[in-house]
Amino acid sequence: MGGILVVLTLQGGAATPAGLDLLGLAAEIAQVDGGEVTALALGEGGAGAGQGLISRGADAVLYCADPALARHPGEAGMQVLAQAEREVQPDLLLLAADSVGRDLGPRIAARLGAGLVTEATSAALHAGRVEVTRPVFGGKAIARMAATTAQAVITLRPGAGAARAADPSRTGTVRELAVQIAPAANWPTVVRREVEASSGPRLEEATAIVSGGRGVGGPEGFSLLHELAQALGGAVGASRAAVDEGWVPAALQIGQTGKAVAPDLYIAVGISGASQHMVGCARAKTLVAINRDPDALIFDAARLGLVGDYREALPALTRAIRELS
Amino acid sequence: MHVVVLLKQVLDPEIPAKAFDIDQGRKAPKVERAPQVLSIFDGNALELALKLREARADVRITALTLGPQQADEALRKALALTCDEAVRVDAEEGALDSHQKARLLAAALRLLEPWDLVLAGRQAADWEAGQVGAMVAEELALPCVPFVSRVEQAAEPLAVRQQLESGYAVVQLGGPAVLTVTNDETNVLRAAKVKDVMAAGRKPLRVLQAGEILADLGESAVEVLSLALPPKPERAEIVEGGSMEEKASALARRLRELGAI
Repeated sequence: MGGILVVLTLQGGAATPAGLDLLGLAAEIAQVDGGEVTALALGEGGAGAGQGLISRGADAVLYCADPALARHPGEAGMQVLAQAEREVQPDLLLLAADSVGRDLGPRIAARLGAGLVTEATSAALHAGRVEVTRPVFGGKAIARMAATTAQAVITLRPGAGAARAADPSRTGTVRELAVQIAPAANWPTVVRREVEASSGPRLEEATAIVSGGRGVGGPEGFSLLHELAQALGGAVGASRAAVDEGWVPAALQIGQTGKAVAPDLYIAVGISGASQHMVGCARAKTLVAINRDPDALIFDAARLGLVGDYREALPALTRAIRELS
Repeated sequence: MHVVVLLKQVLDPEIPAKAFDIDQGRKAPKVERAPQVLSIFDGNALELALKLREARADVRITALTLGPQQADEALRKALALTCDEAVRVDAEEGALDSHQKARLLAAALRLLEPWDLVLAGRQAADWEAGQVGAMVAEELALPCVPFVSRVEQAAEPLAVRQQLESGYAVVQLGGPAVLTVTNDETNVLRAAKVKDVMAAGRKPLRVLQAGEILADLGESAVEVLSLALPPKPERAEIVEGGSMEEKASALARRLRELGAI
């Protein structure tokens, strides 16, 4: 196999955790295979971020900080990605399964006629091609899949945990990608961005998460989850049911169709334990379930369980944890 | 304004895990007795289209599906929810990869022109790939906005809300586009009225033959190597106590012992 092109979106001039996972995976494949890893860094701060990307696994960095990328992430992103693909001619393109990669991944695969496997939770080289593992059917089954074409596109779920520690002794080239972006009249334009306010850490980086489901019963109940999360220095998440009810913003959704998280501690409150949700928190080190129903499916997945009404259990647990710390 | 919504009929994702089994020969679930339903995010896409029609009078909605005759159920549901037209591309959908499906849907969409928007669920509740919507955009050389949850402005220029990792963006459209739709509290699919269900049964469905709308489907570019059930988990250790305070203290102690806090 030849080179790998890793597509990263920079935030605040640095790679996101999802981007570092991509670099770690690419470096692992390249180590076996001998190919070169080129990182394509999209967004402001590419020149400054270059050496950091090399220390995390890239052999070369191409960057593009054109402001059109922020206004037209899809269309400008496709022009930049297509140009980088022509220059690098990779056998494998790796993208994050995030708001950018979920758009660019399928489109570049369709344009190139490359086989595409999306939403990978892990990927590894076997007999010269990359095999991907991914949950399907709402987590009721695990599929291993691969592209049958010489060129492949893979998107990796954020939270896959493949990032490597920085190795400052690594060296490589950093250069700006020469590309002229000419926005067309029919391009969708981002006119406003709203960041949902949250007091604690981001879900993707939180070491403790308290997550609520249908059993929480309404938006008011989430205040008890917030108090426990605060005592733990953690964040609040939710199941799809709680999002669909409008109790919490969609950005808090964890599961097959939400975020995949990997905290040290995950406390599931009033969550039934449907596989759809569980694939999102499967990488938690310790999973705790609090549920009124002693037969709830969640107790099959959790390490520790507390049977009872969360409205009594959470304040008591918050107090107990505060006393211990 | 003509809106086309792409729909897929899938194995009911709500069936319990113990009712889910795999046919290893086909590397696919056994579906003989399992119920089929409209894929969840496609329901969100349909609801978004219905809301858009409520917000502006000129909207006409066409439901488009790809699959064998069984997929007509998704179209009947769309008609019962008062979609104006329903079209099925007749194909053994399960044997095709996403790109082949996207090419077939793009060919059907060209026959249904003119339209202003194509809506698709962000991913289907079976293989969860999330590829077809963006690939349809690529095949039609149109822009794509992924993970749209609602319409922010129904009048021209149309603006939609795109869900991001933390928060959202408001995206203004500049012409025909493909939107993939994700869930939020505004787009939970409504229930059909009984009289509309009855009427839907009498409305015509248009069927397009895959071979007639696309001469060469090409080869599948993706292979399923294996499909397996996840490992069976062990039952949780349940903390005991006479009162909630005791249970909570026991839980906190165990968490400390495990190094989780």
